[in-house]
Amino acid sequence: MKHAITPELKEKKNSSVNSKTIKWFIGSMSLLLIVLLFLLPVIRLFIMSFKNDDQFSFINYTTILAEASTWSMLRNTIIVVIGSTLLALVIGITLAWIIAYTDVRWKKVMQVLIIIPFVIPSYIVTIAWTQFTGSIDFIDINLKSHLGIIFVLGTSHFPLVYLFTVNVLKRIPKELEWAVRSSGGSKWVAFKEVTIPLALPGIVGGGMIAFLSNLDNFGIPAILGIPANITVLSTAIYQEVIGFGPNAFARAATLSVILAIVALLGSGLQWFLLKKSKVNETASVDDSPRYTLGRRKKWLEIVVWIFLVGISIIPLVSMVKTSLIRAYGLEFIRENITLKHYRYVLFEYDKAIQSMGTSLKLALITTIFCIVFGTIIAYIRMRKPSVIMRFVEVIVGFPYALPGTVMALSMIFAWMQPIPGWNPGIYGTIWILLIAYITRFMILQVRGSMTAISQVSMDLEEAAHVFGANTLDKWKVILLPLLLPGIISGAFLVLLTTLTELTVSSLLWSSGTETIGVVIYNFEQSGYTTHSTAFSVVVLAMMLVLALIVYGIQYVWKWRLNKG
Amino acid sequence: MSTILKDVKKTFGNFQALKGIDLTIGDGEFVAIVGPSGCGKTTLLRLIAGFEEPTAGQIYMHDELIASATTCVAPEKRNLGMVFQAFALWPHMKVKEQVAFPLKYHRFAEASLKENKAKRVEEMLMLVGLQDFAERMPGDLSGGQKQRVAIARALAPSPALLLMDEPLSSLDAKLRIELRNEIQTIHRKTNTSIVYVTHDQSEALAMADKIVVMNNGTIEQVGTPKEIYFTPRTEFVARFIGKANVLKGRWHENYFYPLEKEDVKWQVPNVTDSMKMQSICPIRPEQLSLSKSGNGLSGVVRNVLFQGRETHFTVDIGTALIDIVESIDASFQVGDQVIVHPKEQKSKLM
Repeated sequence: MKHAITPELKEKKNSSVNSKTIKWFIGSMSLLLIVLLFLLPVIRLFIMSFKNDDQFSFINYTTILAEASTWSMLRNTIIVVIGSTLLALVIGITLAWIIAYTDVRWKKVMQVLIIIPFVIPSYIVTIAWTQFTGSIDFIDINLKSHLGIIFVLGTSHFPLVYLFTVNVLKRIPKELEWAVRSSGGSKWVAFKEVTIPLALPGIVGGGMIAFLSNLDNFGIPAILGIPANITVLSTAIYQEVIGFGPNAFARAATLSVILAIVALLGSGLQWFLLKKSKVNETASVDDSPRYTLGRRKKWLEIVVWIFLVGISIIPLVSMVKTSLIRAYGLEFIRENITLKHYRYVLFEYDKAIQSMGTSLKLALITTIFCIVFGTIIAYIRMRKPSVIMRFVEVIVGFPYALPGTVMALSMIFAWMQPIPGWNPGIYGTIWILLIAYITRFMILQVRGSMTAISQVSMDLEEAAHVFGANTLDKWKVILLPLLLPGIISGAFLVLLTTLTELTVSSLLWSSGTETIGVVIYNFEQSGYTTHSTAFSVVVLAMMLVLALIVYGIQYVWKWRLNKG
Repeated sequence: MSTILKDVKKTFGNFQALKGIDLTIGDGEFVAIVGPSGCGKTTLLRLIAGFEEPTAGQIYMHDELIASATTCVAPEKRNLGMVFQAFALWPHMKVKEQVAFPLKYHRFAEASLKENKAKRVEEMLMLVGLQDFAERMPGDLSGGQKQRVAIARALAPSPALLLMDEPLSSLDAKLRIELRNEIQTIHRKTNTSIVYVTHDQSEALAMADKIVVMNNGTIEQVGTPKEIYFTPRTEFVARFIGKANVLKGRWHENYFYPLEKEDVKWQVPNVTDSMKMQSICPIRPEQLSLSKSGNGLSGVVRNVLFQGRETHFTVDIGTALIDIVESIDASFQVGDQVIVHPKEQKSKLM
């Protein structure tokens, strides 16, 4: 700055020293709070697994690992997780290649159908699949088996592989494939030597997320596995906790550490694989088709449509049919159709009505918290990157990276007695759910807002300051209008995920604070299939309405922005 | 061993990208296809390469039909190599692997080249001056080095036809001149037929044996650089290649009366009959001169651009703006009243 220092400016300098101390104080307090909320519970869980009678010991591990049931449970976990991840990879990569490179029509509609199984809560998808397979008479399909769990997990999580891969595929410049062709290589050589190696970051990234999701998932192995005595890590922890046996918490903590280690190994492997590859993030997306299929196009389209409709729509139709039937098992004919199950879950059964209120309330408050604090964290992380902020990003992501059951258990330990001897009465109330949701899903908003902020270049902000705007004006007039669509996308994800959450809720709910997921799961467990299907349909309708509202807001906003 | 295009047409939906192209690329010939963006030159190149299929017409290579509305031989089955605008180096392969790649897959490469890959790779890298970079990854190379690797890769299997798609447009001015010379040298050494697409007329003039000027999906003129430069057949070619002023006026007995003024009579050499029929006259900036007074078109200097070797003037003659290149001795200022007239004719220009 070349300006002469006027008295006025001098004064400002003094006050800025003062405000620097305040800033520093606020900063370190926030950091402390983030560590306490996001990191400490996990550390306590870890310590808990090494405790026996207040003494440090490995006894929890030695006992658990000595039990035969643990090993069969671990074997189940490996079979189910690896099988479903492979399935997700095969489906996800195939669809990504077709959508990114071929000239099939109606790609946008296909993409919506691809996302459906991922957006719908997995326990609802599972209920839908059991209804569908139950309705087929000519083959006896038993979903309550290893293969069944693999199938439902794989078809629920392939969209993750798809989303990661399709974006990377579209960013591979087509000239790289053309260079192979003009060097004498065939289409197959181009695919093998260039497309696959360059798409690897996307494939590995998507595959790892699918792996973690398969490992973490509770709804699917709970509904399909528990009745068939197929226990995996996530359901094993749940059963320990609700079993309330002696040492239940310590045992659950031990299993959690094992599960977390598997999950962390997965994340570490991904980090290792991706570190070596060079992703060209700056390459622009090329949407134009690269392979004209000619006469084969029609056939491929038919196959894709049958697959997508079969996987996304038909199970849901079966579920709707079950929800309309007078009594489970009756034929679907006019005399047997009734709305009484809907009447029951919407107006008669208090717990169902109450759970909708609870979940909506929790989802809204969580979303608002995440929007405010997630965006602040994202902004500081993007605009003033530092080691501390990268650390903050990692910590905030921790509760989400952990399997849900592990995360829930760590919440119980952290809030039952935050300081030994002091029980603030949070565990067993709705507050623990709120705290758990906010800490678990904060990272979704942080990521969403970070993406939005990265798309607004720094000079736009500098320009605002140059033309005389202060920080508040800048946010009001420049940043918020530009960031809003991105922030809303993140917030919408938080809202939907929270609204239908089951894994964390299944361990943290108490009488009177049942969430939607818990009520549907309890219906299903108690065999009230007509009620669980009816309530699932209601929840899907709710999600659809929310999606339409959010889509409408974004549409109007973008339209206004383009017009203005 | 030549490539022949017969009435080749290409449409994308309702857009007619190529409206009937006839062209012969002779053996060992360096053909530059030049035109503004969107003129169809890149589409034409992709048709020759086999990345697009023609809507109508035929393409022959070595007397063999390689593309028509019904047949299309895959790119890898045509005896060619290609250099792309954005280099298209595979980011996961070392420089030597890039160059060795076509030696492994190109079906027209001679057995002797395929057998001794390492030697050929070294030879090619030597040719483009990158013998010390064999172990590098593309990410560690500068733009000019990347393009050299791309050229080495395309030439390694010694293809009968080398296609180059604006290979220098993503490089800076100095490198462009340097690589221009290099490509010419390589062409002389290897004697490969080259089709070189560019939007830069000076590149085409400097390098090619034959220039094809394209506009709006059609060929405006084919000829040697000198023919195209000195005797443009259409107004477009005159403007695009020679940066010529195209003046309206009257032709009478080989004299041009600009703006139909009876008192101004110019002798302009090498104007084609089709131009004369249209009552227009192309005249390049360096063919014109400025004076304070005399016979010519009077106008006002609007712009003066000092270029070092010469000075560019823009003169407003009321009905048009005229560009004139003068020696740096000409000392006219913006706002000066001037007279525009042709330079003293030098006999060798005729």
